[in-house]
Amino acid sequence: MNPRRLRALIGRVATEIRRDRPSLALLFIAPIVITGLLTFILREGDTPEVHAVLVNEASGPGALVGAALTTALEAANVTVVEVADEATARGLVEVGTDTLAIVVPADLATGGQIAIITLGLDPAGEAAQMGVVRQAVSTAVIGVTGGHVPVVVHQTVYGTASDDPMVPFAPAIVAFFLYFFVYLLTGVSFLRERTGGTLERLMATPVTRGEVVTGYTLGFGLFAMLQVAVLLAWALGTVHVPAIGPLPEFAIGLGIPVAGSPLLAYLVVVLLALGAVSLGIFLSTFARTELQVIQFIPIVIVPQFLLSGVLFPVNSLPAVLQPLVAIMPLGYAVDALRQVFIRGADLSVAALRLDILVLAAVAVLFAFVASLTIRRDVV
Amino acid sequence: MPAEEAAIDAEVMKATGEPAAKPAAEPVSEPAIRAVGLVKRFGPIVAVDGMTFDLAPGRIYGLLGPNGSGKTTLIRLLTGMTKATEGHAEVLGVRMPSRANLARIGYMTQGDGIYPALTAGENARFFAAAYGVRDDAAVTEALTLVGLADRSKSVAATLSGGQRRRLSLACALVHRPPVLFLDEPTVGVDPLLRVQFWGHFRALADAGATIVVSSHVMDEADRCDELLFMRAGMMLARGNGADLRAQAGTDDLEAAFLQFAGEGAVAA
Repeated sequence: MNPRRLRALIGRVATEIRRDRPSLALLFIAPIVITGLLTFILREGDTPEVHAVLVNEASGPGALVGAALTTALEAANVTVVEVADEATARGLVEVGTDTLAIVVPADLATGGQIAIITLGLDPAGEAAQMGVVRQAVSTAVIGVTGGHVPVVVHQTVYGTASDDPMVPFAPAIVAFFLYFFVYLLTGVSFLRERTGGTLERLMATPVTRGEVVTGYTLGFGLFAMLQVAVLLAWALGTVHVPAIGPLPEFAIGLGIPVAGSPLLAYLVVVLLALGAVSLGIFLSTFARTELQVIQFIPIVIVPQFLLSGVLFPVNSLPAVLQPLVAIMPLGYAVDALRQVFIRGADLSVAALRLDILVLAAVAVLFAFVASLTIRRDVV
Repeated sequence: MPAEEAAIDAEVMKATGEPAAKPAAEPVSEPAIRAVGLVKRFGPIVAVDGMTFDLAPGRIYGLLGPNGSGKTTLIRLLTGMTKATEGHAEVLGVRMPSRANLARIGYMTQGDGIYPALTAGENARFFAAAYGVRDDAAVTEALTLVGLADRSKSVAATLSGGQRRRLSLACALVHRPPVLFLDEPTVGVDPLLRVQFWGHFRALADAGATIVVSSHVMDEADRCDELLFMRAGMMLARGNGADLRAQAGTDDLEAAFLQFAGEGAVAA
């Protein structure tokens, strides 16, 4: 190795990176922001807000459990409402936010199980709420029954609790990866259009910027729709392949059960994808190279991943971050897909309608913003 | 003679101490291209510094000047691709920028500006559609004109540099525009192809098109009907090659340019 040539190479690489301001900023700032955010979420995550609906079916000594439970729950900052029967309690869980029901059975003293009923749409978030409640239940019941540890079972209003570990994550994962890949595809393609001189050329024709954005959105949208179809088929379907010769029988597809209409799920992800196309066009304005399009991922995609309930339940995020949660398009798609996958919601469900409306509005808004970045006066 | 041209002539006279060449074109009522006090600043940099001129239809105009003299910015101002800081431009009597008027303007950018993944035919057809041209004959005609008819099905990325340049020209011609701006069309083009290009330009001008060709290659200048010498965003002189040489008292256009540019340029 020739030291002079080596020095020239090192110097050149260093100078190039030094001149690439966005890359430089990303190199130092992005890891700090992301690890900071992650630490903040993990350390400062709030105890989720919980409202409990108590059904006490026990009599005799068991009746005391109700009172003890209320005291223990209130000590843990859980509001408690007592209702007469389980059906009423389930009804309240269904309409309330952050509400779960606790059913103390009549045969508690003789080994009956205490049931905690949650909605079942946000398994991770509900697990966090249950953690709070479980503690209080154990303390209170042991105090009354004198050491006999009751069994606490988890039931959900929608879906089946603790069934397939993939079920809670499937909607979020489908939405996230779709968003990610569509953004990447559009961002890089449109950057080529900008830097390859074809956008300038195109702007020298009577084409309007609205036509450019709509054309791109529908063009990429076509592929996004195909991608979604394939992804959903893969995630929801199971194709059993019988044993062939020495090969054992196996199945293709993730076989994730979906309670609602796959078509509705399709609509949700297509809307999300259209928003991702516009996002890609918009962000390509701020990138000079394809590398920089990729560098936007830590800024744009990762926070959505952290704040949209893909991994961390939204209700346990620090209160300061809650306003951000409300503006993450991915969060609405994740919720909408959970409504469809787990709850089996159709368009009569207000929560799903809101999600779809927000996703459509985001797609339109970003298309508009993206069109503003396509100017004839590009230099 | 329009007032603007008289003003230019006065400027040129001041700069050269000699009377400016009379534009060789006979006075035409409606200029194809008109610039009125065009100024473009990028922050502290003045790219175009007050240019006023009329260009008559059916002629080839050579925009000559060194790199960075403002040729591309001037073309972008004339095509409405960038907004003038001061003054305005008109093409075929329509004030630029005008989106509708772009259908009558062809613009070959300095870069190829073609889609590498599309075939030559697909590129031409795409731009034809963008210009609102429906008939496929126009596409074939444009590709034939630049000698790429037989490569119509070749993917642009597989074409040679010269072929891509020709495809780029075809995409600028595909809507048969009466006004054509060509920004350094012959850069990186071999001498043979260059002769062919100029043949095309002449044929188009004879058919009535007004063509503005920018170049920093002086040996192409004599193929133009009229030359506009540019330097530092200003017009130094205007006239045909012979007139400019005569004025500068030299038989070399390059020397003539340096003469008009003043001592600074001579030293450089």
